[in-house]
Formats: sequence, C-alpha cells, structure tokens
Amino acid sequence: MTGSVSEPPSGGSAVRHLLNAVTLPCDADVDELLEQVADGRGADRDAHQRDCVHCQAALAEFAALWAPVIDIAARPVPAPRGLTAAVMSQIRVLVRDVWYTLQTTDLGVIRIAARIVAALARDSARMVPGVRVALGRSTHSKLAELAEQGSLKHRHPHAAVGVLGRTAVVDLAVAVTYGDPVRDVARDIQRHVIATLRESIGLQTITVNVTVDDILTGDDQ
Amino acid sequence: MQPEPQVGDAYLVARARDGYLDAYEMLVQRHSAMAYRVALRLCGDHHDAQDIAQEALIAAWQNLARFRAESSFSTWLYRIVTRRALNKVTRGRAAELADLLDEVADPVPGPAAQAERNLAVDAVTDALAALPFPQRAVVILHHFEGLSYAQVAEVTRSSVPAVRSHLFRARRTLGTKLEEWR
Repeated sequence: MTGSVSEPPSGGSAVRHLLNAVTLPCDADVDELLEQVADGRGADRDAHQRDCVHCQAALAEFAALWAPVIDIAARPVPAPRGLTAAVMSQIRVLVRDVWYTLQTTDLGVIRIAARIVAALARDSARMVPGVRVALGRSTHSKLAELAEQGSLKHRHPHAAVGVLGRTAVVDLAVAVTYGDPVRDVARDIQRHVIATLRESIGLQTITVNVTVDDILTGDDQ
Repeated sequence: MQPEPQVGDAYLVARARDGYLDAYEMLVQRHSAMAYRVALRLCGDHHDAQDIAQEALIAAWQNLARFRAESSFSTWLYRIVTRRALNKVTRGRAAELADLLDEVADPVPGPAAQAERNLAVDAVTDALAALPFPQRAVVILHHFEGLSYAQVAEVTRSSVPAVRSHLFRARRTLGTKLEEWR
C-alpha cells in the first residue's frame, strides 16, 4: 500500500490505484470511503464529499466495484427442507422423549407418542379465545418415572422409558391476551384440551396443568 | 387456529429450559435458515453447511442451561455456527466456496443477464474463499448478515477495533479480486 493517490488513471486501473493508496489527494481515508460504500452509505455524502471531485470519483468507483457483493448478500438462502425436523428428531432421541399412551383393543394395541398428545393439547389450547401462545409438554419427569414403574410390562420394544398407559398428564405454558380474565381462560383451556384428547385419542384420565406465564398486549402481535 | 404471535426468543429459551420441546422447535424454525446460510457462506459446501447447522442447533439445545441472557440467542447461535465452521474448514479439505446461490430459487433473468450474474457470483465467491477465515467471518457476519461491529465482536469474542481492522483488510483484498474480474 502506498501513500496518497496522485492522478488516478481511468477504468479498472483507477480502482487498483485507489486500493493501493492510503489517502486521496484531499487527504480522505480510502478505507473509510470503501467502508462507507460497503455499508450502503455511499450516497450519504458529507459537506467535503459533496464538493470534492476525488471523493466523488472514489465513491463512484467503489460503488460499482462493491455492487455484486451487495447483490449477492441481499439474495435469500433458504434452509434445506427437513433441517428443523432432523434437528428435533435428534433432540427427542437425546431426551428420550418416547413415552406412549397405550390402549388395548380387541384388534390389538394402540400406542400414541406422548409428544403427539402434547402437540394435540397445545393446538387445542391455541383455539381457546384469549390464548396467544401455547406450548405443550407431554408429562412431568417425576410423573413419567412413576408411570414407568407402574407399567414396565408394557414397555415398547423401541422405547427407552416405557408407556403412560391410559392416563396422560399434559403441561401447558400459555401466554394470554391482556385484559382477559386469566383464571377463566385457564379453565377454558383445561376443559377444551380434555375434551379434545378424549375425542381424538380416547384417553379417559387426563390431567391438564396450565401455567400462564405471560400476558401479551395487541402490540406483541 | 389463531396465528402464532411473535413471542421473544428469551421467552422461548426459558420455556425450552423448562422442558417444552416445542418452544425449542420454534427457536429452531426461526433460526435454522440463518445457521445454514452462515455455515454455507463460511465453508462453501452444502453438505458441510447442513451438518454444521444441525450440530450447532443441537449443541445450543444441549447447552441451554449454560446460556446467559447477556447476549441474544441469535448472537450465541452465530458464535456456535462460526466456531463449528472454523473447525470444519481448518480440519478438512481446502475451503473452496461453492456457489452461494445454488439452493436459491429466484426469478430467472434472461440468458445473457443470467450469465453475467453467475460470473459476478463466481467472482464474489472466489474472492471470499481466498480470504483468511477471520476476515471471511467478519465480512459474512457484517456485510452478509447485517450484524453491527459490536455484534460481530461479540460473536467472535473480539473487540470492535479488531473487527474494523479485519474488515478494512478484507475489503481491500475483496476489492482487488473483484477488480481483476471486471
């Protein structure tokens, strides 16, 4: 890198000349001019730049030079399909989230993963007026442990922990709309979720624990 | 079903720590594109980028208990992705950046314009690949991801002057390479 640019040649060599210099003849810093363009501030010229032909020429050269970078940076790069599912599937294996409900029918056995129960409960809770966010958790680890002890004979061959049997304990964390009576909303959630799980899965003994941990206003939408 | 409102990452992180896996799933849905994009731009290979993104998101979940709310979840994730990309690049084969836009569905311009754009993409891609990793990382994080100097410093555990200095050098090198292409 040399010192100041004297008389820059035209075209491509002018840029090379600029990039090899520290300052312009007007003492403007070449790095700062390039930074200005690269940060998208090339058109925001200060009083000196508005009157200086050296700065104007350098800013124009750098703008043309940097245009492909800005173009490429602005183009979206979507995540590959299935990335979220792959991540969550590995995490579920790590947390051994493989509890199942178990129902014996005259045709055989029906097992439904506890996380499906949690997802149904969550989606059901989201339908209740006043609920803004609902997150579902299949069961508390302590209760799961107890259920496992009581149902070892039903252990699923591919399950790491066991089954919940005919009962389900679902924890829901919800955020509700500001102004709605929280207790009423929570009761509605319990009733709605229990009805949904009875109808869609056939579970009879269901406990739905609701934790209201946030209240959102209209601005949070 | 009602539309999902934009709850903050901090809320979801707290719920994920409580064992709500779907809270973490929402975080993954929000940030997986960023994790993949940054990994792809840093290491240049689609398959490596997918692995890095996946590993980073799992590592973030495994370390949620250690995550301090001093920085945002996304800054923390940027750091994990960048570190993993560095490991991959320095451990493995030469970091030849593939076409950054391979996976991008974009309106197709005419053949001549497309050829011109492809050349520009190749030129930027090659110029980025030629940068030393620290310079490439700051360019990607600042110019491609839009992080401020302070945020880049946080991600790279560096200082703002150091980030600025890396960027000055990187821009000159990139500029010289792009000038050769023009």
